[in-house]
Amino acid sequence: MADIELVGVQKDYGRGRKAVRAVHDLSYTIADGDFVSLLGPSGCGKSTTLNMIAGLEDITGGEILIDGRRVDDLDPDKRDLAFVFQDYALYPHMDVRDNIGFGLRMRKVDKAETERRVVDAARRLDIEHVLGNRPRNLSGGQRQRVALARAIARRPKVFLFDEPLSNLDALLRDQTRSELKLLHAELGATSVYVTHDQEEAMTLSDRIVVMSRGRLEQYGSPYDIYHRPATEFVASFVGKPRMNLLPATRVECGRYAVGGSSFTVDVPGVDAERIRLGLRPEECSVQPVGEGEHASGVVKVVEPLGNASDVTLDLGSCLFVVRIPGFTGLTVGDPVLLSAQGATLHCFDPDGGARLTAADAR
Amino acid sequence: MSATTADRPAAGGRRRSSRARRRLLGTIGHRVLVALLLVYLLAPFVWMTVYSLYPATALQTLTPDLDPRQIRLDAYLGMLSDPSFLVPMANSAIVGISTTIVCMVLGSACAYVIARYRFRGRQTLLLGMLTVQAVPVIVLAVPLFILLRAFGQYDTLLGLVITYTAFILPLVVWMLVGFFEELPPSLERAAIIDGCNRLQIMTRIAVPLAAPGLAATAILAFITSWSDFFLAKVLTISNATTLPVRTAAFQGLFAMDYTAAATAGVITAVPVLVLALVAQKWIIRGLVEGAVKG
Ligand SMILES: Nc1ncnc2c1ncn2[C@@H]1O[C@H](COP(=O)(O)OP(=O)(O)OP(=O)(O)O)[C@@H](O)[C@H]1O
Ligand SMILES: [Mg+2]
Repeated sequence: MADIELVGVQKDYGRGRKAVRAVHDLSYTIADGDFVSLLGPSGCGKSTTLNMIAGLEDITGGEILIDGRRVDDLDPDKRDLAFVFQDYALYPHMDVRDNIGFGLRMRKVDKAETERRVVDAARRLDIEHVLGNRPRNLSGGQRQRVALARAIARRPKVFLFDEPLSNLDALLRDQTRSELKLLHAELGATSVYVTHDQEEAMTLSDRIVVMSRGRLEQYGSPYDIYHRPATEFVASFVGKPRMNLLPATRVECGRYAVGGSSFTVDVPGVDAERIRLGLRPEECSVQPVGEGEHASGVVKVVEPLGNASDVTLDLGSCLFVVRIPGFTGLTVGDPVLLSAQGATLHCFDPDGGARLTAADAR
Repeated sequence: MSATTADRPAAGGRRRSSRARRRLLGTIGHRVLVALLLVYLLAPFVWMTVYSLYPATALQTLTPDLDPRQIRLDAYLGMLSDPSFLVPMANSAIVGISTTIVCMVLGSACAYVIARYRFRGRQTLLLGMLTVQAVPVIVLAVPLFILLRAFGQYDTLLGLVITYTAFILPLVVWMLVGFFEELPPSLERAAIIDGCNRLQIMTRIAVPLAAPGLAATAILAFITSWSDFFLAKVLTISNATTLPVRTAAFQGLFAMDYTAAATAGVITAVPVLVLALVAQKWIIRGLVEGAVKG
């Protein structure tokens, strides 16, 4: 078993004046046995980071340690890790058995042991009956399982996954996701999992690395990422529906007007003229305006989802989404009263987007 | 309202049927053209085969007698037991096979590197390889003759192999780069993780996957060197004479043995024909099976 340590890791593509920095100064430690997701939008450097851990890409700066041993000069096969690729990367000219056993044969594991491990891996993933098939005769889901079996059969210290589920249809993806979680619980090997799907990252991970434009935004547990996003980027990226993130200006001490509208929120402990205020849609509520009350906005869109409905409000100068349980009697055009009572307030610096922790103190 | 809805399917039907008729005409025209082309291409070969099988006396009349009972295999038997024909045939086979092997071994290594590694001058190199193909052989024939003689390789099989390799290798590399580039890089990454070194990636992953393309290229290399006439004529005189040169020699100055010439022609052409058919099968297989689509 192994922990993975990144120390100031950098990656530039190209050389000289044409060099582009794809990854900036990453430093974090993935603990032994943890399942860690690298989460971020397309092009943020997740695959690059994973490939550097695997040794498929050289690093331009910093160091990578596995189990306390520096590995960034080692060849990938000396790092004792297995990689599951997005397109599965099964060898088309070998049958499933040979695909799973290839890495073992290359490592000169003896025949009987190879066969034993191949069958064991196939049994775990329920693909014993296709061991004699060529990959092209398998369904997408089966190919994915073969790719996983190939990784498992090697019994490596570290598993690396690069968006392994993104080529599956939605139903199969959910199913495979839970199996992956079970598998990790069974094997207990350190796993690094690249995904751009926050749901995958949240459900699978012990810890999540959120990246944006080649930089680390936050490294923390799913709980932290969701409840205490370290930057405005994390706040906007994680959570569905998206967090309402609006500029807020102080109207009186500790009281801020959201997005230039008449809707105000009490934000104790913050001392700034302007902030960015984040409110999760599911933590806010709406109700029809009563007699003599002043409406905060009107309903613009209602999207029923079954167990909940997303209601988009027009606050006059900005839009605000609220998720309410079940179906709603609200219709487009209704004037409503918006309330953020009890909602966690996420305050960010308007320049730079860092979290203003003073607001969390209350 | 009801009128328009009633009208529409009828109009659509009319349009469809006229389109179908046009498509049918197109198909017929296409077939006829293909048939004509086939006759144009195959007729000389068929006639040559006929000439090699029937006695000349039966053919050189106004009404050729194509009675199957007239067929004689004497010409083939005679030719295939005549050392002055067998030696050039063996020469051609040796030169063809050696050239193919050398071209494929060197070519696949070169092509793999060009396909997989980005380096300065890569595009220029690829373009250069094509440009070389544009130089007419006749320009190089005399310099090559002088060069080979200086190195003592005039009229030797080795001289021919070296010369053919020089001409065919760039084309081989150029074709193979295309085949290797189509292999998904993630397969090779998987192989690296599985513990392959660069050579093993090539021999265990890239080459087996590009096999249809490699086979087609090898066949092309063989056909080119097997059927070359001009360079063989210039660079050999007696020892290393090849089949095409020997075949051409049946064309005497005053008299001509049509049967012998036709027989030699068929013997030269048959391997090319067979290999061309095989190559076609390989290429189609590569396309249809989608060798790399895991
Ligand atoms: N071989 C390369 N040469 C030059 N730039 C590259 C190369 N590979 C990646 N990049 C750049 O590095 C950045 C990060 O790429 P990377 O593949 O790591 O993104 P990613 O987070 O995995 O995105 P995705 O979700 O789309 O896979 C991108 O801007 C990309 O353009
Ligand atoms: Mg990626």
